[in-house]
Amino acid sequence: MLDVQRLDVFYGDVQVVWDLSFSVQDGEIVTLLGANGAGKSTTLKTLSGLLRPRRGRILFDGVPLERLAAYEIVARGVAQVPEGRRLWPGMTVVENLLLGAYPRAARQGVEAALERVLTLFPALAERRRQLAGTLSGGEQQMVAIGRALMARPRLLMLDEPSLGLAPKIVERIFGVVQDIRRQGVTVLLVEQNAHLALSVADRAYLLETGRLVLSGAGRDLLADAEVRRAYLGI
Amino acid sequence: MIEQLFNGLVSGAVYALMASGLSLIWGTLKMLNFAHGEFYMLGGFGVYLGLLLAGFSPLLAVPLAMLGAGVVGIVAGRLVIHPLLDQPGWDVSPVIATLGLSILFQNLALHLWGERFKNIPYYIEGGVDLLGIRMAWQRVLIVAVTVVMIAVVVIALRRTWWGRALRATAQDRDAAMLAGINVYAVYLWTMGLAAALAALAAAMLAPIYSVNPWMGTALLLKAFIVCVLGGLGSLGGAILGGILLGTTESLTVILWSSEWKDVVAFVLLILVLWVRPAGLLGTREW
Repeated sequence: MLDVQRLDVFYGDVQVVWDLSFSVQDGEIVTLLGANGAGKSTTLKTLSGLLRPRRGRILFDGVPLERLAAYEIVARGVAQVPEGRRLWPGMTVVENLLLGAYPRAARQGVEAALERVLTLFPALAERRRQLAGTLSGGEQQMVAIGRALMARPRLLMLDEPSLGLAPKIVERIFGVVQDIRRQGVTVLLVEQNAHLALSVADRAYLLETGRLVLSGAGRDLLADAEVRRAYLGI
Repeated sequence: MIEQLFNGLVSGAVYALMASGLSLIWGTLKMLNFAHGEFYMLGGFGVYLGLLLAGFSPLLAVPLAMLGAGVVGIVAGRLVIHPLLDQPGWDVSPVIATLGLSILFQNLALHLWGERFKNIPYYIEGGVDLLGIRMAWQRVLIVAVTVVMIAVVVIALRRTWWGRALRATAQDRDAAMLAGINVYAVYLWTMGLAAALAALAAAMLAPIYSVNPWMGTALLLKAFIVCVLGGLGSLGGAILGGILLGTTESLTVILWSSEWKDVVAFVLLILVLWVRPAGLLGTREW
């Protein structure tokens, strides 16, 4: 479904992603792991069109995305839950969710989509008219995921969803991610929390300072000695 | 007294229209539009052209002037502001660019239409006796049209897809892009809307004060002050600030003299920056 080929991404003159290639198949949960500054978020931003790669290709079902603007990429079925949630603080939960369906194709059946999201996150239903800026971290994360789902994406990308959240909430969020996959949405997950990510992912890629250093099935990486030492603290 | 208060309301309406547009541009594009007085001026000339040269009725000339100014706003946005976005120096570049636009528009108007003040006939003659004073229909019209226009804008911002997209772009631009909103298009629509609002203000005021290439300059300064008064970026603040400035100026005319009227704006500015720099409704999202 997603085929990333030899991506080179720069911030000005500084290269942060080197020759990155990976893929995501339909129905998978794939995770990009790595420490802070490894280039994971940069990669997601490039996939979403917020950044332009200097070299390389991004193919989504064979369609090249690397030259498209961010709003065009969403319309093609690729939605991102950004790092730090990035909700609109002065708008209510419902307004935040509704705007997720902004692309024209997603506007049909927006009422039904809204109900589905509120069923997925019952805690939000009680807070629908609350200003997003007043929500707790966990609630904000739920709104952010819900907002991305409103675009009816075929590929959902999550950038560090566990950041700053209590373990109980994180568990809940990862449960939801698995529900989402069961409903037919493919998931690309960027996480610093390797243990959590590897417990849900089918396959994983490990980045270090912008380069791919390891890849394989989730289980295999969980068992890998290097990974265990460096990222799982075992 | 009541007459002056009424006049204050009329000025307040004009200030509110101007400041709303400025506030929209600041809130969404995060820039100060120094050409805003010229959007106002172009609106005035637009009505002049429509009424006196083409012979349209005000019902047609005013909306056309708004549309014309809106188009100018969009084109100016695309040609002048768009290339500056995402480039270094954004805190200064739009100021310089819009100052340049301001000079361009003033001299263009001077060249096209000359320096003589153009008079425009009142849209409605006569007045009405209310609360012991005579209110000219033209002035009542200014207040009425302003109230309606601002109500339309506020409702559009709250209830329409486009309005919510604008608010989202103002509050978090990257998140807006990720939601599928074309923020560059939003920026252009914002400039167009702001210009149209300024043009409306001029179109309504033109019969009273006439039209000339520099009519926007003094008003721009007051519009900025109103924005600071109400809180930069707050639409409600722009409206509240406009009414506040308008009525305070009028009260000053009664209590002191009309020579002190223009001082009021700056006194209020200093007071606000001293006591509550964020403005009356500042740091509130809209």
